[in-house]
Amino acid sequence: MTLSASAPATATRPVITAWSAVSPYGIGKDRFVSGVLAGQDTSTPLDSQEWAAPDSHACLIPGFALREVLGKKGTRSMDRVTGLAVTAVRDLLRDSGDRRTASDEETALVLGTTTGSAQSMMDFTRASLEGDKPFYVDPSLMPNAVMNCAAGQCAIWHNLKGPNTTIAGGRVAGLSALSYAAGLLASGRARTVLSGAAEEFSDARAWLDHHRRGEDGAGALLGEGCAMFMLESADPADAADRALAEVLAIQSRVYFDGDPGEALAACVDAVLRRGGVERDDVWAVSASGLAGSAGTREREVLTARFGAQVLDRAPAMSLVGDTAAASAAFQIGSLLAAAEQSAAPAGAVALVSSVDDNGVVACAALRLSAR
Amino acid sequence: MTTAIDTDSQTRIKEIVCDVLELEEDEVTDSSLFKEDHGADSLRAIEILAGLEKEFKVTIEQSELERMVNLDGVYAVVGEALAAQK
Repeated sequence: MTLSASAPATATRPVITAWSAVSPYGIGKDRFVSGVLAGQDTSTPLDSQEWAAPDSHACLIPGFALREVLGKKGTRSMDRVTGLAVTAVRDLLRDSGDRRTASDEETALVLGTTTGSAQSMMDFTRASLEGDKPFYVDPSLMPNAVMNCAAGQCAIWHNLKGPNTTIAGGRVAGLSALSYAAGLLASGRARTVLSGAAEEFSDARAWLDHHRRGEDGAGALLGEGCAMFMLESADPADAADRALAEVLAIQSRVYFDGDPGEALAACVDAVLRRGGVERDDVWAVSASGLAGSAGTREREVLTARFGAQVLDRAPAMSLVGDTAAASAAFQIGSLLAAAEQSAAPAGAVALVSSVDDNGVVACAALRLSAR
Repeated sequence: MTTAIDTDSQTRIKEIVCDVLELEEDEVTDSSLFKEDHGADSLRAIEILAGLEKEFKVTIEQSELERMVNLDGVYAVVGEALAAQK
């Protein structure tokens, strides 16, 4: 599998012009930026009244009571992952304000996920199995049991009428979404794409993770959240002026032997080649920082390629826990945050490395705009 | 035919309807119309029907939705469904 939507060098490459985040640091991009730059740990004890998970701690979004955040209208049946995505898209549209030149019809949405809401799927099935009749279920909860519920609700809430896509890609989902979004722009299917990824914390997810987590990943903390990016074509020039970063290339590889090392090295080489950049151009590299041997191997490969200093310029993502589908999207956000703070040299390249222990790796190369 | 139902059942029905329509209980009267006055659509109507079936352990035909336009209509339909079970 190859995510090969990176545009040929002659065509204009897409640019990120705005972004938003709902993260364990709180609701809003600014909370994420200040938290991640301060290296603040977000681990919190799980309230046993509220959760029945196997873990004692997790990295939860503080104060994310869905109906308080989004209001009581239209939220009765909304599940958590949908609420996260709807909130992040709301903030993105609000913060970018009138700068979005595309109409609602020309605005697409691409959302990365692992499997939608495992909790909603299990709850709905359980209700049908346990009820006196199999059809004694709440029909309003049925849409939540479908993977693309969150993306669909984002469009309904915010009146986005362009293509609406859900990409299930595990930890690399944020990069898969970005790649797909670039394709929508390149093919003229949309003028603006809201691209990102979301993951919720839930009892169901915690139990699933508990049973599949290998021994070397024991003690990993689960996190949650959503990050969304506004992607536009760099042409016309006003979009280029507003650009926070240019998406140079996105690549992915698979591995079968449990060791992501070789696949990651090949993926890094490919993304640099496709992006038309040299190793020395790379100013910062964000590692996914997965707990366990896959994460250790990732760091080895990246350090050998770029040196520890380049890796350390990117904030550590373990601070927000394993945010699964949202992880690569948060990594992009953390690089934009780091660039803003430490005045990255003009034209500096940042790399996102995403490693999933399910056998997939992906990388993205971004050129950071001079601020 | 109208079959009266007790006050407790009426209270419970009102709770279910208000929950589905995302309304406070003082916003609804026995005769205010779900669709015209409270902006309900057909999906909401099905949700009310399903909620009532589950709560009262009855089966309500979808054709009854035509009568379930306000609380009075719902009381009548649920009353008949309960009576039919006895």
